[in-house]
Amino acid sequence: MRWLPALLSASLFAAGSFAAKKSSEERFAEFHAKQTSHAPVKLTDVSFKSLTTAPRDYSVAVILTALDARYGCQLCREFQPEWELLSKSWVKGDKSAESRLVFGSLDFGDGRETFMGFGLQTAPVLFFFPPTAGPHAAASPEPIRYDFTNGPVPAEMMHSWLVRHLDGRPHPPVKRPVDYLKWAVSFTMITGSLTGVYVLWPYVVPVIQNRNVWAAFTLIAILLFTSGHMFNQIRKVPYVANNPRGGVSYFAAGFQNQYGMETQVVAALYGILSFAAISLAVKVPRIADPRSQVITVWAWSGIILVVYSFLLSVFRVKNAGYPFYLPPFM
Amino acid sequence: MRTLLSFLLLALASVVAAISTSGNRLLVVLDDVADKATYSKFFADLAEREFKITYETPKSDSLNLFNLGERTYDHVLFLPVHTKGLGPNLTPMTLLDFVNAQGNILLALSANTTTPTSLVSLLSELDITLPTDRNSLVVDHFNYDITSAADSHHVLLLPAPKPVRAGIKDFFSEDAGSKLIAFPRGVGAVLGNGELLNPILRAPPTAYSYNPKEQAEVVDDLFAAGQQLSLVSTVQARNNARVTVVGSAEMLQDKWFDASVTKLDGKPVVQTFNREFAKRVSGWTFQEIGVLKVNWVEHHLEEEGAPNDSNPEMYRVKNNVSYTISLAEYAWDHWIGFNVPESDQVQLEFSMLSPFHRLNLKEESRRLAAVHYHTVFTIPDQHGIFNFKVNYKRPLLSNIEEKNTVSVRHMAHDEWPRSYAISGAWPWIAGIGATVSGFLGFVALWMYSAPVAAKKVTVKKTQ
Amino acid sequence: MDQSVNDSEPLQQPAPPRGSTNHQITAIMSADSLERLAVAGKGDSTRTLLRVIILLLIAGAAISSRLFSVIRFESIIHEFDPWFNFRATKYLVANGFYKFWDWFDDRTWHPLGRVTGGTLYPGLMVTSGVIYHALRALSIPVDIRNVCVLLAPAFSGLTAYAAYLLTNEMTPSSSAGLLAAIFMGIAPGYISRSVAGSYDNEAIAIFLLVFTFYLWIKALKLGSMLWGALCALFYGYMVASWGGYAFITCLLPLHAFVLICMGRYSTRLYVSYTSWYALGTLASMQIPFVGFLPVKTSEHMPALGIFGFLQLLAFLDYVRSAIPSRQFQTFLWVFAGSVFGIGLTGLVIATSAGYIAPWGGRFYSLWDTGYAKIHIPIIASVSEHQPTAWPAFFFDLNMLIWLLPAGIYLCYQKLADEHVFVIVYALFGSYFAGVMVRLMLTLTPVVCVAAAIALSTILDTYLKAKSPIPEEHLVEEPTDGTSKKVSKPGLRASSKPYIGIYATFSKVTVAGAMTAYLLMFVAHCTWVTSNAYSSPSVVLASRMPDGSQHIIDDYREAYQWLRQNTKDDAKIMSWWDYGYQIGGMADRPTLVDNNTWNNTHIATVGKAMASREEVSYPIMRQHEVDYILVVFGGLLGYSGDDINKFLWMVRIAEGIWPDEVKEREFFTPRGEYRVDAGATDTMKNSLMYKMSYHNYNNLFPPGQAQDRVRGVRLPDDGGPVLNSIEEAFTSENWIIRIYKVKDLDNLGRDHASASAFERGQKKKKVIKKKGPRVLRVD
Repeated sequence: MRWLPALLSASLFAAGSFAAKKSSEERFAEFHAKQTSHAPVKLTDVSFKSLTTAPRDYSVAVILTALDARYGCQLCREFQPEWELLSKSWVKGDKSAESRLVFGSLDFGDGRETFMGFGLQTAPVLFFFPPTAGPHAAASPEPIRYDFTNGPVPAEMMHSWLVRHLDGRPHPPVKRPVDYLKWAVSFTMITGSLTGVYVLWPYVVPVIQNRNVWAAFTLIAILLFTSGHMFNQIRKVPYVANNPRGGVSYFAAGFQNQYGMETQVVAALYGILSFAAISLAVKVPRIADPRSQVITVWAWSGIILVVYSFLLSVFRVKNAGYPFYLPPFM
Repeated sequence: MRTLLSFLLLALASVVAAISTSGNRLLVVLDDVADKATYSKFFADLAEREFKITYETPKSDSLNLFNLGERTYDHVLFLPVHTKGLGPNLTPMTLLDFVNAQGNILLALSANTTTPTSLVSLLSELDITLPTDRNSLVVDHFNYDITSAADSHHVLLLPAPKPVRAGIKDFFSEDAGSKLIAFPRGVGAVLGNGELLNPILRAPPTAYSYNPKEQAEVVDDLFAAGQQLSLVSTVQARNNARVTVVGSAEMLQDKWFDASVTKLDGKPVVQTFNREFAKRVSGWTFQEIGVLKVNWVEHHLEEEGAPNDSNPEMYRVKNNVSYTISLAEYAWDHWIGFNVPESDQVQLEFSMLSPFHRLNLKEESRRLAAVHYHTVFTIPDQHGIFNFKVNYKRPLLSNIEEKNTVSVRHMAHDEWPRSYAISGAWPWIAGIGATVSGFLGFVALWMYSAPVAAKKVTVKKTQ
Repeated sequence: MDQSVNDSEPLQQPAPPRGSTNHQITAIMSADSLERLAVAGKGDSTRTLLRVIILLLIAGAAISSRLFSVIRFESIIHEFDPWFNFRATKYLVANGFYKFWDWFDDRTWHPLGRVTGGTLYPGLMVTSGVIYHALRALSIPVDIRNVCVLLAPAFSGLTAYAAYLLTNEMTPSSSAGLLAAIFMGIAPGYISRSVAGSYDNEAIAIFLLVFTFYLWIKALKLGSMLWGALCALFYGYMVASWGGYAFITCLLPLHAFVLICMGRYSTRLYVSYTSWYALGTLASMQIPFVGFLPVKTSEHMPALGIFGFLQLLAFLDYVRSAIPSRQFQTFLWVFAGSVFGIGLTGLVIATSAGYIAPWGGRFYSLWDTGYAKIHIPIIASVSEHQPTAWPAFFFDLNMLIWLLPAGIYLCYQKLADEHVFVIVYALFGSYFAGVMVRLMLTLTPVVCVAAAIALSTILDTYLKAKSPIPEEHLVEEPTDGTSKKVSKPGLRASSKPYIGIYATFSKVTVAGAMTAYLLMFVAHCTWVTSNAYSSPSVVLASRMPDGSQHIIDDYREAYQWLRQNTKDDAKIMSWWDYGYQIGGMADRPTLVDNNTWNNTHIATVGKAMASREEVSYPIMRQHEVDYILVVFGGLLGYSGDDINKFLWMVRIAEGIWPDEVKEREFFTPRGEYRVDAGATDTMKNSLMYKMSYHNYNNLFPPGQAQDRVRGVRLPDDGGPVLNSIEEAFTSENWIIRIYKVKDLDNLGRDHASASAFERGQKKKKVIKKKGPRVLRVD
């Protein structure tokens, strides 16, 4: 951060000429008027400079963001509504502007120079400019930087972050507006589904009382879980990945990780094996015709052998040095 | 048992009488063993206080502060020497090690000779700064001796120094009367802000330090002036080793010991206080005065019916605990009880991470060679590993840092009041009673009721 | 749903018919199983004898397969937590139970101390203490350490027996139980936590889990209060032993709920559940650590809710038996449903209002899997709380993992109450195991049971000596009484009548194949146990180039050094992973340990490690730290070292001091975590980095210093300089490095300038020619 004041002054130099004309009092009045009408104040290079010129007896919180679709900044778009919510409720919360805080948002489209001035590679970044004059004057005019390192933050967390830097001033809380639409929608959904169930009851009952349905559901669920589906959910693993040799690798190297495709293959293998076991145990002894019975027995036994040996070979890929195998996949 | 202890201490004190608490081997480093004659009275006083004095010149090979890693001397006295370096036996590192090994150093400077570099760097490590240019000296055009330094006002006359603050023991100005300290041709030092440093004798506000050679006509860019100039300064390291810097070696010489001086305002001739002052300064430096020690520390449970054995390892939250510490002070040749000066207090901290209690200790009883300080308090309602800490550090007194660690445990399962002792629990106890009796009653009813009911029950059972 | 119950089978005649059918089936099945086994042994007694022998052999196998580590290394306690359990057990044995109960441990969590007696699950220690004293009473002189080391294997034998009992409740085929027992005995999923020396709560908890389930099923089947009480008793033991008891607390109510929804409410259910819940809850509340949780926290609310719901149902049942009017009944059902709903909403409201504590962090992170990572880094940081990849499943359960669905399907075939239990258990067990690696442990028993059911069915079918005659089956197909009753609503697969296998050849084929797979399963289990689960992570074994084994014993070397060269109450600061080991092996007070109850204290240590010396030194002085212990694998390529764990320290510290410790600053602008020349200044100045790489360059020729874990070359700038601490000890392979915290400087200088003087650098003159001079004030 050493370079920051230098760059800051450099970037402010241009604006210095006319920014110096206005006193910080006037500037605050101007921008506060803006944010009372519409918070956060939409800034450009020029207004940003004039807003953040030292000396200032007010604090400024500016989000430097890139909302335009072509920058593809997902985080920016996720955070922007939160930011607006925060600034609105703050400005509403303290009408008399005792906290002397101006909320701004500067889009990359309007503020390239500022972005370059700060040498920013990423967006969004939030800068908090403490006052350099007045009772709460900070030692250095350097802004305090907030990087969104761990994902989007809700307005409340951002609020608490601001509060940490605004001690001794009022902190109007974040007020989330009640989302009537959401309530209405969910209500209608629930009632609708209830009535649907009520109407369809005679048709639903046989389904929910059918063992086969439940059995199928249970088996599928178990197969999913035992084939590491939760791991995919939590770790957000890719479906497949490109290996260095340019091809596509379906099986992740290493014992501790896996790909989405891989788990599905494994689930399928498990499914086949257990289905084979089931038929050997249940279906086959109920076949009346001896010849077909022998054939089925053979078929299933063969399938088990092949699939199981394939499974073992796959496992050997994951865990090098696993000594066991079955023909035909040696 | 405490009285017994103090008697033992008394006996001990009488044995070690009349020598310093940290041994009596004194090394004097001077230019030429011959010119110790000029300091004869000073050395006579020291010898009388049973110091075994060895005289060495810096260059001599027999000079060794350490032998096989052990100190060979307890105290070192440096008198001004003419050589710039002190040779391989007295490097700054050696001197620092000497101090770290609890050796004491008394350092006498002079404006006529340059201070050796190793001493200068030693002092700079102690954050004491000497004038950069050689033989610059302290003058004062208002407090000087008109008889000896009529025109070059470099023999300063100062009253015996009083303590800087209230609550600090007065070692140097007792029964000085109107006697004055003569400070001829001395070097003034500037002290840093460390709390280990203490100026004993400061220059009067009108004094300043300059170099007669270069700054004969006009004095620009003073080294220091006034109260900032410390003429006799002391350092007490954390291990209580003491280093004293006396600005003027000359003031220790015989001719100033009982000289008579006159101040500017033609007051009648007065005797110098130098001899007594020198004795006290050397005595302080060589651990003969201002030395404190803890005889013993005792804490125990102050509960009725509790076993009050001394210094247990563990207490319980909300116990009442009594704490006593016995302090003694060394006065020249024997131990006496240490009395805290007015407007000062010995404090006890009961702390875990941060103090939970900070209490002033009351003087409980006074023995021949000890004063017992005591308090009783209640342990806070917080379990953990706590310290009884007495941290008494005052200027010119050796440090007392006593830390006794005890564990404070939580309430054991059977140390809580029983349920019936809590009035708030009575409804619940009543509820239990009601339930039990109700159940018994129901069972009785069940078993001895008519078979009709019984049949009904069996019907239910089969379902 | 309730209505469906109503339609499916009116509750007037709930239990008896199904019960009776069950009996018929068992009669029939056991009949043919009888004549099947008659081939093996003549008569009933012979069979019992055989069974006993087999079970004993199984127990023997289970125990012996867990002794690899003892044979290879020595009888030593394994990785981390066991060391604390071991220490606690020694305390218990030395001071008796009441002292143990009120134990205030002043050698951990310095200076806070830990109310150990009230914050642990005493079951394990008490068990081994009882065993120890019993053996002593039998005048068998035995070392408590050996009791602790061998406790887990011994209990694994019991677990196998419990699995046998549980499975026998599921299926009449007597071979299934034995199969389940052997599976349970040697399945790696269970061995992983119960090899000799891994003296952890799970060692006995799994046995208790299975046995409690067995008792529950028994109680449910018989509807007996006695078995319910027994179940409650063992449930209490389980609560005393392991935090995982919540699994039972949630599974039994769930089972009951599912049964109710299936319209299978019966007095048996009522009796068994209520007796279990009432007594079990009382029992669990006797454990100081649990105390009032069972009535306060959400984990326990389902059990309470079902309890209430059952009372309601019982009442309704009584009323409807009294007033048999259709409309009134429907009204009653609506009433019941609405009460249930109201109760549920009330629960939710109470939780949100804070009267009921919300889910505990560890527990909650099972449902909202993203929760821990954001809110409780300390939980997310624990390695065994990571999700499970599929190889782990196969590694731990091998062929059982694909026999599981088959077994579940078979359970659907004759869907009695106990089968419903297995299904529910399997479903949720597999979900939890998928979310957290360590919960593989709770999945394993049900997998063994289900697999055993499947496999035994196959074997029973194909090992039957006498083949059916085709003709008669072809004629008498329509009139087949038994299998009709078996599959009343029935599964499609089992709609046709049961015939059997005609050809001996196919029998031989299948039986042979299955035997082969089973043999391979045994081989797999042995291999996994010996290679993966038998190293006591205190001692590392590595292979020399010539293939000979080389033991790396740095941990014990370092702990021994601490024990012998530091004063008895020297406080050791290290990351929490090593707290228990230092306490157990070095017997020195530690700041934090594996019982991560105090996030702030751990964050303090994290801050001290992640900050500059000038910041950490006051922290360490305040906490009276004498020595710092860090683990560094750079020389050996030991990847589990502190630099790799460092980011967690930073995160946890950032959670408490977001302004002073920032994770961002440990990453380069390009977002890499580097330790070489490209590392950020914050990283290079952090105490952890300095301590890890201090003097490391001197091992190598200039510019050749190499970190074998990170695989990077270190900058050639003489390495980091330490001022306020000094190196005290470094183990043979540099895995453990111990530093001593210096005292304040004797002459009141700051450490930087003091050590600069030590290095012989002249201090520059403090007189500043320009600027105002600093005046001394007294």
